[in-house]
Order: sequence, then C-alpha cells, then structure tokens
Amino acid sequence: MGRLFVAAVLLFVAGCSGGENAVPGGGGKLDALLAKAPAYTGQVVPGSAVDRIKKRGKLLIGGSQDAPLLSQLDPVSGELTGFDAYLGKLLAHHLLGKPETELLSATSETREPLLANGTVDVIIQTYTITPARRERVAFAGPYYRSGQSIAVRKGTSGITGPADLAGRTVIAGANTPAIAAIKQAAPTARIVEFGSDPECLTALKQGRGEAYVQDQAILVADAAKDGELQLVGEPFTEDLYGIGIKHGDAEFTEVVDDWLREIGKSGLWQEVWRQTIGTVVTGEAPSPPAIAS
Amino acid sequence: MSLVLEGFLNTVALTLLSFAGALLVGLVVAVMRIVPVPLLRGAGAVYVEVWRNIPLLAWLVLFVFGLPEVGVRMPLFWTAFCAIALYEAAFVAEALRSGVSSVATGQGEAARALGLSFGQSLRHVVLPQAGRRVVQPLANVAIALTMATALAGVVGVVDMTRAAQRINLELAQPLLVFTGAGLCYLVMAAGIGFGARVLERRLA
Repeated sequence: MGRLFVAAVLLFVAGCSGGENAVPGGGGKLDALLAKAPAYTGQVVPGSAVDRIKKRGKLLIGGSQDAPLLSQLDPVSGELTGFDAYLGKLLAHHLLGKPETELLSATSETREPLLANGTVDVIIQTYTITPARRERVAFAGPYYRSGQSIAVRKGTSGITGPADLAGRTVIAGANTPAIAAIKQAAPTARIVEFGSDPECLTALKQGRGEAYVQDQAILVADAAKDGELQLVGEPFTEDLYGIGIKHGDAEFTEVVDDWLREIGKSGLWQEVWRQTIGTVVTGEAPSPPAIAS
Repeated sequence: MSLVLEGFLNTVALTLLSFAGALLVGLVVAVMRIVPVPLLRGAGAVYVEVWRNIPLLAWLVLFVFGLPEVGVRMPLFWTAFCAIALYEAAFVAEALRSGVSSVATGQGEAARALGLSFGQSLRHVVLPQAGRRVVQPLANVAIALTMATALAGVVGVVDMTRAAQRINLELAQPLLVFTGAGLCYLVMAAGIGFGARVLERRLA
C-alpha cells in the first residue's frame, strides 16, 4: 500500500515536471516535421540572441502546458503537443540543429517581465499583437490568425451573433483574448471567467452563463467531443498571434521573421497546422498570415 | 476604473461576510470541541480536520462545479462565500479553542470549587481571560482570509486580483498593476491589524 502510494506520487511528480524535455525528437508527429525543418544559415554575431541560444544549447520558451491544440502537455508521453509547442521545437531546431527547448510556464501577468529580464528567449503563447504590448515587447510574425467564436448550449435561442451577447452573462477563459473581444462586441455583457476550458464548458452546461466565447479552434474541438455544445456562426474577431521577443531586439525579430516566412513558403507551417489544429478543424490548411517586413 | 472599484468592493464584501460567517461557524465548532460531550467533541474535531486539510482552491472548485450537479445553484459570489467561510471556520475554531485552553486549569478548578457550574465558570472566569488572547490569532485568520479571497477569482468572481489581471491584459504592465493591487490588500490587512490592536487594548 505504502509503496503504491509512493509510486503514485512519483508518477504525479513526473507528470508535472515535464516542462523540460531532454529527449530530442520524441513523438512521431514531431519527428516527421523536424525532418523538413530548415536550419539557420545566417551569421552569428557574438553577443546576439542567436549566439546566446547557441552557447546555451537550448531555446527557453515561455508558454502554456494546458492549451488544447496549441500547447498542451501530454500526461502519458510527457511531450508538449500543439501548434505553438511544435513551432517552438522547430524554431529551436532551426537555430540549434536540434529541438532542444525548455518551457517555462508563462501567464499573461508574467510574459512581459520574463522577456524584459531575459528569463526566456521567446514567448509562444497565443500572444495577440496589440499596440499597447508593442510598446513593451517586440513581436515576430504574426504566425497565426485566429478568431473568437461563440458557443451555446444546444437549443439556446436568441443568440445568433456577437451583438446578441449584450446584457447577457458570457463565460470566457481567464486571461484570454475573448475578454477584450466580448467587451468590444457587446459592452453590456457580463463576463464570468474560469481558469480553464473544461471549467468554462462545465459552467456553460450548468447555466452559469448563456454563451461561451473562446478561440474557434478550441470550440470546434470541444463541440466534436460534446454533443450538448453548439457553435454560433463564424469567428467575429481577428486575433493575430505573434512570437514575443525582448523589446528592441530587432536583429532576433528579423531572424524569427525570416524563419516564419521560410516555413510558410515551404509548406511546413501548413503541415504543423494539419498535425494540430487541423485534427479538429475541417477543411484545408489556411495560408499563414503575411509577415510585415 | 469601474472594474477596479467592482473588484475592490467584491474583495471587501467577500472578506467581511466570509469572516463573519467563519466567526459564527467557528464559534459553534469551538464550543463543540470544548464541551464535555464525547460525541460533540468528535464531530468538532472531524469538522476541523476535514475542512482545513483540503486546500481552499479544491473546496471552491468543488462548490462551484459540484453543487449544481446535486441541484444546489447559488450565484458565484455566494458559492465562494460559503466555501471560504466554512474553510476559515476551522481555523477560527482552533484559535478560539487554543484561547480557552491557554487559561490555566487551576482557574477552572477554582471556579468550580467556588460552586460555579460549567457554564458559569466558562462565562465568568475562563472566557474573559481567553477573549483577549484570541484577538491576535483571530486577526491572523482574518488577514489570511483576506488574501484567500483572491482564489475566488479563479471560479468566476470578479475580485481585486481578477480585476487586476483583466486590466493587465490590456495595459501589459504587470509590475505596475499588481503593485497597485498589492497595495490595496496591504491597506486592508493593515486595517485588520490596527483594529485587532485597538480591540486587544479594550479587552485588557
């Protein structure tokens, strides 16, 4: 009994400490992607971000472990899976020749300080590019175009678009772009936040709110698993996600931008999309958003 | 600005109401643990051990998502109030009980030797002495409770921490925003500490 308990605790700890992934490659999906990944051929200026990362031998990424389809820790394999996670691995492979990364859990409160004090090299975490944020961080990209969608309980009437959210109680994930989107589309809506997507879903089903606003890809995934959920129309916002880089580091931003252009052209970006978001969103892979030079 | 105010007022309201609730429930539990009835003592001990040994966040999630499953549906604010009050009641009960225990046993024995009943000796001899000694421990519980209300933000209540997070989402200035929120908590906690000192002097 005691031994069983110890084993359970160890398993739990092992599951939780999966942030650092020392095993190169890992899951089959990622291997296939890495085989096509381009390598950095530019100059390495001593003291630059690329030089620092190369000397360290791994890329430090600020991100999430609990964002389905984007950056989620697989509790069985200990691998980080999803669109953001794979891009991080590919970027590391690009710079280092091996997918050596370390994920540091970032939150919307810690992202800017983590970049500013150099704790992480990049933030890849559905980081919407906004003018206010541009004043504190540099963004490479955008690397992904997303939109907020509305979901309701099946059989809900009267909600056909974002304007119908006015005056209603709307559920949103804490610290997600949904909050700003709701405020903009329906300023009189009452926003109730819960920590994670499953909690938001449960809250919706228990009647804590009449609608749930979330990234469309996540809602599509939810609806595929849950017959009680119904999506309302198409996304009503356009969020452009960027890769956060230390403010003022134009050189490294350029390197990441070039890399994004390259994988967009070679079709690797679309391949990553198909392996992750494309597993729940039907239709062909979209084209990556244009990167301003 | 209205968001800051809403968050601040919710935190203040949640703190005051939860502490009032915790005092009430904690008093009942403390009495249960003191009276010479084994069944009540046992029940009081079980209450304290169950409530304080499970994290408040777990209680909040259980209350918010579990109660509707069994047909109990309350607004989020009141659900959070119940969870926080019942959780902190365990700490209040222990603070009260240790206050009573701190009165030398000789005092109770002397009271009974004078012919006072259990209730009388408690009311006239033990409690007045215990009262002053529990003020600071109770203030500690109250301050811990103030900070614990931030957890309600995780289950949908717009408290001060949640409001700060929302504001930061727009401003992207976490150091500034959270220093501000921290100062609000500091003012509240300092107020509790000041109140406790005044009360302690009065009871002396």
